[in-house]
Amino acid sequence: MKIELQNVKKAFNQGRSNELWAIRGVTTTLEPNRITCLKGASGSGKTTLLAMIGCLSRPTSGRIMLGERMLSGLPERFMTEFRRHTFGFIFQRLNLIPGLSTLDNIMLPAYPLAPRHHQLLASAQSLLEQFGITDKGNNPIEWLSGGEAQRVAICRALINNPQIIIADEPTANLDSRLSTEFMGLLERLRDLGKTVLITSHDPLVFDAPCIDRVIELRDGEIV
Amino acid sequence: MMLAPAIMALILVSGSVSLMMLLASVFALQVVRHWDIHSGSERQLRLERQTYLISTLLVWTFVSELIALLLFIYNAEAMSGQFVGAMCATGVLNVNDWGWPDLYLKIAIFFAGSTWLILNHLDNQGYDYPLIRLKYRLMLLILPLVLAEFVVQLNYFLQMDPAVITSCCGALFSADAEGVAAEISGLAPRTSLWLLIGSGAGVFASGLHFVIRGRGGLLYALLALFSFISALVAIISFIALYIYEHPHHHCPFCILKSGYDYVGYLLYIPLFTATALALGCGAIAPWRHISSLSAAFEPLSHRLAWSSLALFLLFYAVAAWNVLGSNLVMQGVWW
Repeated sequence: MKIELQNVKKAFNQGRSNELWAIRGVTTTLEPNRITCLKGASGSGKTTLLAMIGCLSRPTSGRIMLGERMLSGLPERFMTEFRRHTFGFIFQRLNLIPGLSTLDNIMLPAYPLAPRHHQLLASAQSLLEQFGITDKGNNPIEWLSGGEAQRVAICRALINNPQIIIADEPTANLDSRLSTEFMGLLERLRDLGKTVLITSHDPLVFDAPCIDRVIELRDGEIV
Repeated sequence: MMLAPAIMALILVSGSVSLMMLLASVFALQVVRHWDIHSGSERQLRLERQTYLISTLLVWTFVSELIALLLFIYNAEAMSGQFVGAMCATGVLNVNDWGWPDLYLKIAIFFAGSTWLILNHLDNQGYDYPLIRLKYRLMLLILPLVLAEFVVQLNYFLQMDPAVITSCCGALFSADAEGVAAEISGLAPRTSLWLLIGSGAGVFASGLHFVIRGRGGLLYALLALFSFISALVAIISFIALYIYEHPHHHCPFCILKSGYDYVGYLLYIPLFTATALALGCGAIAPWRHISSLSAAFEPLSHRLAWSSLALFLLFYAVAAWNVLGSNLVMQGVWW
């Protein structure tokens, strides 16, 4: 399903002296089963826009639609439910939880949905297999290399079989080799039928051949 | 007298509820006038963000009003020893002109508030706020009741004069007196028994029809309201008399006393709750066809209707048990 943004604006500290309009009226349509990169300098509004699309925050005005369903107006508990089923998140610092095993990290986002444990375990092991880290399942997360941790973060984003993957500056802490490898993994996600939204100001990302569309943001507006 | 903990609690609840409702009414007016789910305007999104806060506030407001009714009755009963001539809550309510109006307002708020809570619960099950305008319109209708109740209650407690000799229940609920209470007291027990049985049969028939067919919610609510009134009439007319084991004592409040094992609470709490839940069935019935509510409607309506029917059954069972187990024998007189 396509994602439609209709004149989306987002203000922080509205009505106060430090009011900041992070997004100033973005209207665009993001096609399904594509890798779309939001490009822009730090402070251009990439993460804010991604957070609103991913139902992590709400616009100050404007609407975000996923197919026929309006996302931005959903009551809180529906928004949470929708977010859990529809979006998978890959964070800049990966945010894997130390002290937990690889499998536990992957299964964590599925717990609020309360699937049967043996089914959940099978899904997590299948993802580990797809991404070539089967033997790391029981290892504590601290033992993994950068590339392995990155794959675990992708597996975790996929555990609820979401339609859309959101990756916020996922290569910011990676070297060139790992960044290139990461882009290859995103291509695999698209081949699996996922829609991928990624933010970056790294040319290795937005110039990568797998990127279908680049949207450049500056001061909260599409350039 | 104003420093009695129960009175302070009642005034505090009533005051804070009035204040909360006044604050919420500003929001309610905006919703009624400007709500447009298709708009992406700043105002619409602000209303969407605020509605959860306001409806949560109103939920607690109405819940506290429901509890306040119970406390009000309990307090009236407990204060009966402080007024000359008062034997029970009736005498305390008679102590000035504000007592009975306050009780009636509290009962009206109890039913209106519980209906609002049920509508709000259903509305929260829909992803597109399907009943938002309706529930805030209803809230605006309840607001004058709440404000009036605050003023009436304040006057009631402020004008309580321990020197006043009040009239007891024997004077008010007597077939020889004048007024509605006297009329009900004077009603033939046989008539009120048939009224009770007939209305009860109507409630169970319409309630089961609503549960099985999913239709007739409004009829069930209306019949429940009729049953509620019939039940109050029956309590005054003959049920209370069997509890007191006295053929002329019609008071509906003395049954709340410890001397009668607080059996009044076992009659009134199921009766009031059952009626409130049945009214909720009537309030939600017209909205079953809204697509975003269709999944939530059936389980909620079943839960409400079954709970309501079970509580009506409990009321009838307690009433029957007290009548049949009484030492008062009126065969040949009433029956």
